[in-house]
Amino acid sequence: MSTNLKVSAALVAAFAAVVAAILILGQSDSGSSADGGAAGGAQVVREDSHRLGEPGAGDVTLVEFLDFECESCASVYPFVEQLREDYAGQVTFVARYMPMPGHPNAENAAVAVEAAAQQGEFEAMYQRMYETQEQWSHREESQAAVFRGFAADLGLDLASYDEDVADPATLERVLSDRDDGLALGVEGTPTFFLNGEKLEATTTDEFIERIEAALDE
Amino acid sequence: MSDTAVADRPVATEARGGGGRGLAVWLLVGGLLGFVAALVLAVEKYALLADPSYVPTCSLNPILSCGSIMASPQAEAFGFPNPLLGVAGFPVVATTGAVLLAGGRLAEWFWASLQAGVTAGVAFVHWLMFASLYRIEALCPYCMVVWAVTIPLFTAVTLRNLTAWAPRLPAGVNAAIALVRTRHSVLLTAWFLLIVAAITQRFWLYWSTLVG
Repeated sequence: MSTNLKVSAALVAAFAAVVAAILILGQSDSGSSADGGAAGGAQVVREDSHRLGEPGAGDVTLVEFLDFECESCASVYPFVEQLREDYAGQVTFVARYMPMPGHPNAENAAVAVEAAAQQGEFEAMYQRMYETQEQWSHREESQAAVFRGFAADLGLDLASYDEDVADPATLERVLSDRDDGLALGVEGTPTFFLNGEKLEATTTDEFIERIEAALDE
Repeated sequence: MSDTAVADRPVATEARGGGGRGLAVWLLVGGLLGFVAALVLAVEKYALLADPSYVPTCSLNPILSCGSIMASPQAEAFGFPNPLLGVAGFPVVATTGAVLLAGGRLAEWFWASLQAGVTAGVAFVHWLMFASLYRIEALCPYCMVVWAVTIPLFTAVTLRNLTAWAPRLPAGVNAAIALVRTRHSVLLTAWFLLIVAAITQRFWLYWSTLVG
């Protein structure tokens, strides 16, 4: 074995060891979410998950893991709004944060929505994010000022909004949703769960059929 | 790292001026690999242009990401799809390798031009890597083939030329070149590892879901 080969192999081995070490440390750090699925650690809906509108009378719950900067979430948003209108009072709609790493302002947006939620305006802020997505998405710079403008438009108490945005607990609340999503095997957004089961429909008609079927049960 | 071993040999066995057989083989193989990857990318680009309405889901998987690389402005750095550069450039590299294998001797001005080409190529590829990792935040497998081929093409051609120009360079520089020449595959391994480390760090959330 030549020296070059030995040195190269040593470099590769050292790199692999560092990555493995970080992975293992990270695992034990968030051990609850890693093996949580079966043990009840990860849940599709939690007590503190945000409901959109009034809960439905039946026991059908539709959960969406969403990212405010994701184009495909924005493109299903009108459909979800339509569903909320059509099944108002029947289905409980839940939205959960799933900010994706490819979107520079996804976390900022989720934090802004969570800060609004603390003043009871989750829904209004959520709608505002999708309606304005094109104006702020896919920009490297922080769009926090834009989001603060939305908060002002909605008449929120800006002093406590600022406080909540700055509070690390707000981001933690967002990321705890994402941790649940990751543990549940959510790999992209939007991902829907109907009564705890992942709903994978290729057409809106199929999506509606599945909801109808759940209501008929 | 068999390809780095291939790239390693030419410089070691190289007689002055000619370019060794290993270098010739590597230029041919690397040029062809790069050409195929660029051709696939060019064809996919046309498929994408045919259906721009398609909105894929936003995926954690950086390889299937919604921040689609080919739809990004960086995919047309010079006003036309980047893969066309590769479709035009890699055959030149492959042909050079074939000419050398056929016993051709190339003038110094040809080697100097090739040097200009691979230098521009390696610089462009690193700009694309930066864009891919930190701006578009997605990976595209065929692009990565182009990255992986361009770097050793650059180092192999550069070492060959620096060796040929040795009489005109100061002794200190020649000593450094000699060191790099004997450690060519280590250099390439370290270079690739830096890129792999950046990719690992950038898409950490995704890799951790694969293990967890």
